[in-house]
Amino acid sequence: MAVTHPLDPYLRVDRIPTMWCPGCGLGIALGAILRAIDRRIEEGLLKKENIAFVGGIGCTARMTLYPYFDSAHVIHGRAIPFAIAVKVVKPEMKMVIVGGDGDIAAIGGNHLLHALKRNADLLVIMVNNMTYGMTGGQLAPTTPRGLYTTTTPYGNPERELNVIKLAAALGANYVARSSITHPQLLERTIYKALAKRGLAFVEVLSTCPEIFGRHIGLRNPVDLYMELKKKVTVKTNPSIEESDYDWGRGFVIGEFVDRDEPGFLDTYREYISKSFGGGAV
Amino acid sequence: MKLSTPAATLIKTKSSKYAINVITERCKECGICVAVCPTKVLARGDSRNRRGYRYVVPAYPDKCIGCKMCEYSCPDFAIFVEAG
Amino acid sequence: MRYEYLTGNIAIAEASIVSGLKFYAGYPITPTSDIFEHLARELPKYGGHVIQFEDEIASINAVVGASWACAKAMTATSGPGFSLMLEALSLAVITETPLVVAYVMRTGPSTGVPTRSGQYDVLQSTYGFHGGLVIPVLAPSTPQEAYDLTVKAFNISEKLRTPVVLLSDAVVAHTYGKVAIRERSEVEIVDRSKPSTPLSEYRPYDPVDGLVPPMACFGEGYSVLVESLTHDERGYYAPRSDAQRKLMWRLYRKITESSGKLFDYSSLYLDDCDVALVSYGSTALSTQVAAKTLRERGVRACSLKLKTLFPIYEEGISKLLKNVEKVFVVENNVGLYYRELRGILKDRDVVSVPLIDLDVPLPQEVVGVVDKWL
Repeated sequence: MAVTHPLDPYLRVDRIPTMWCPGCGLGIALGAILRAIDRRIEEGLLKKENIAFVGGIGCTARMTLYPYFDSAHVIHGRAIPFAIAVKVVKPEMKMVIVGGDGDIAAIGGNHLLHALKRNADLLVIMVNNMTYGMTGGQLAPTTPRGLYTTTTPYGNPERELNVIKLAAALGANYVARSSITHPQLLERTIYKALAKRGLAFVEVLSTCPEIFGRHIGLRNPVDLYMELKKKVTVKTNPSIEESDYDWGRGFVIGEFVDRDEPGFLDTYREYISKSFGGGAV
Repeated sequence: MKLSTPAATLIKTKSSKYAINVITERCKECGICVAVCPTKVLARGDSRNRRGYRYVVPAYPDKCIGCKMCEYSCPDFAIFVEAG
Repeated sequence: MRYEYLTGNIAIAEASIVSGLKFYAGYPITPTSDIFEHLARELPKYGGHVIQFEDEIASINAVVGASWACAKAMTATSGPGFSLMLEALSLAVITETPLVVAYVMRTGPSTGVPTRSGQYDVLQSTYGFHGGLVIPVLAPSTPQEAYDLTVKAFNISEKLRTPVVLLSDAVVAHTYGKVAIRERSEVEIVDRSKPSTPLSEYRPYDPVDGLVPPMACFGEGYSVLVESLTHDERGYYAPRSDAQRKLMWRLYRKITESSGKLFDYSSLYLDDCDVALVSYGSTALSTQVAAKTLRERGVRACSLKLKTLFPIYEEGISKLLKNVEKVFVVENNVGLYYRELRGILKDRDVVSVPLIDLDVPLPQEVVGVVDKWL
C-alpha cells in the first residue's frame, strides 16, 4: 500500500525511518519545519526548488538527509558560510540552516556571530538538546551547569551559553525560542521566520533521551519529553531578560525579537548598484 | 532522483469522524504519541514491525477528537489523522 | 589581446575574471591581499561577488557553497590561512566541488617572515588535507605564467569537478612582468558538464560513462545532495567497504589518469643535456640562469621548469629526462619535491639542492652546489 503521510511529498521517503534514536526530538522538529514550509509553498511565498537545507555535523545536521529539497550536509560548524554564499549568488533561494547547539554555537560560533552582525538573510534553526548526542554525551555550550557529561564527570562547572541573548544583541531581525513539546507553536514560529528578511534565529529546545536523558536519569523518551514540557513556559512577547537559560527554573519560549531591518543582501546590493547603476548585480 | 518507497504497511483505523493511520514500519515505539494524546486513544500494540518495535495502535478510536497532537509529536512520520 | 605590466598577484586576479569567476571570498593575508583588493574593485563590474569573511575557514566554505550555486568560485591565501582551509578542501574533494585556491607561499613555519618567500608548502598544497587523495597543483614562476595557469586552473576544476591549487610564492606575487592579457573570446574556457537526465532521475555522484559526474546546482529543481559522508551515486550515506572503494578509486583515478593532460612545463637545452636542473616557481628563475652559466663553462646542463606539480606525470617526466646523467632538484625549502621526483626517477642519479633564502636563491648559489657534485 502506498504511504501517504501528509509530509511524504517533502521527504526522501526511501531514507525513512531516520537514523535518530527512538523518541528523539529531532523528527518532531523536522515535521514542524516541513509543515511550515508547506504552508509557505501553498501560499506562493516560497517555491520548492528555491528552498535549501544546510547542516554541518551532528544529529541535527543530519536533518539535511531527509527533506526532498536541495540539501548540503557539510562539515562541522560551517553551514553558515556555505549558505551565505549560495544566497549571495542566488538571492531567490531560501536558505534553512539546521544545526545542533554544538554545530551552531560552539565550533560554528564565530560564523554565527558574523552572520548575525551582517543580518545575513538566513533562517538559522538551532536545535538544542543540551548535549553532544552523536559523539556520546560530552559537554555542550548549552549543557546546564552542574550536570554530568562524559567530559565533565564531576559536573559541568561552566555557565551555559544563552544564544538567544547573543542573537538579540547582535541585531538579528527575528529571535525566537520554541520547543518540540509545543509542535504547533514551533510550526508557527518557523512559518513566521520563513518570511523574514535578514537573519531569523530560532532555538528549538529538544530531547535526547538516549544520551542526555540517560545521564540525568530520564532514559525513557516520554519521561524526558514530559520533564522538558514541565520546564517550558509559553509567553507572548517576552522581554530579552526573560530568555534566561536555567534548567532548574525552566525556559520561557516565545518571540524575543521581531524587527525588519535591511538584511545583508539589501545593503550589499544597494551599495553595488549605487556604483554600477544597478546593472551589475 | 526517483525515490523508491520501501514496502510499508499502513493500518487505517476509522471512527465515526476520523481515520487514524499508522505506518507500522516507521514506528520506533517511543510512546510519545500515546503520552500526548489528550483523550488516550492510543496504546502500545503487541505486534512488532520488522525492526522489532511494537508499533502503536489506536485502541479507542472513537475517543479521537482530531487534534493531531500524535501526528505533530511523532518523531518518525509514522502516524497521521484524517477527517472522515 | 593586449600587453600590460603586472605583478603575479594582479595577473591571477585578471585571469580569474577572464576565466568566468563569479564569487570570491577571502580573508586578508600577506602576501595575497592585493588579489582580493583588485577583485573587490573589478569583479562587480562583471556581475561577480566579492565578500570578506570572518576567517579563512568561512571563506573556503563559502567558496564551496558558491560553486554549488553554479558560480565559478575562488579564494586566495597563504600558509597560515591554507592550513585553516584544509578541512573544507577535503569536503570539496569528496563532494567534487570545482573551485580554485590561489596559494601564495611565504616564509614559514607559522608566522615566519610574512612578507618574504619560500617553497615550504609544496607538499602541503596537495597532501595537506585529510583523506589521502591528490589535488591538482599548478606553479607559476612569472606573471605571465600566473595569468595562463590561472585560466588553466579554472578549466581543470570545472572539467574534473575538483579543487585546484594555484601555488605561487611571494616573489612571483610581487614581481612585475609583461603579461599578454586575453579577451574572453581568445581563451578556451571550460564549464562543468550539466546533467542531461530528467530532474527526477538525476544522481549527483553518478559519473554516467566517465569518471566525472555531471553537476547540477542549487535552485534548479534537482534536489541536489551535497554529502560529506561516504556516499553512493545518489549521495546517500554508504558506510560499506564496497561503496568506499568505489568512491575512493574513482576520485583517485579522475585526477591521476588526467596527469598527462594536465602536465605543463618549459625547458632550456633539454635536447642536449647531461645535467638537468629541475625546479618550479620563483626558484626556476635562478635555475634557468644557472643552467646557462654552467653551459658557458662547458657543462652540458639544461633546465626543466615544472608548471604542473600534481598529479605527477611520471611517464612524462621520466621520458623528458631519459638521456640525462644527473638530475638536480632545486627548491627553496629542505628538499621536499625532490622526494617526489626521487621516487619516480629510481634508475637515475637524483640530487637535492635545498636552498633556503627569504627571496630567490641566487644562480651562483645553485651553481655552487651543483659544482660540488660534478
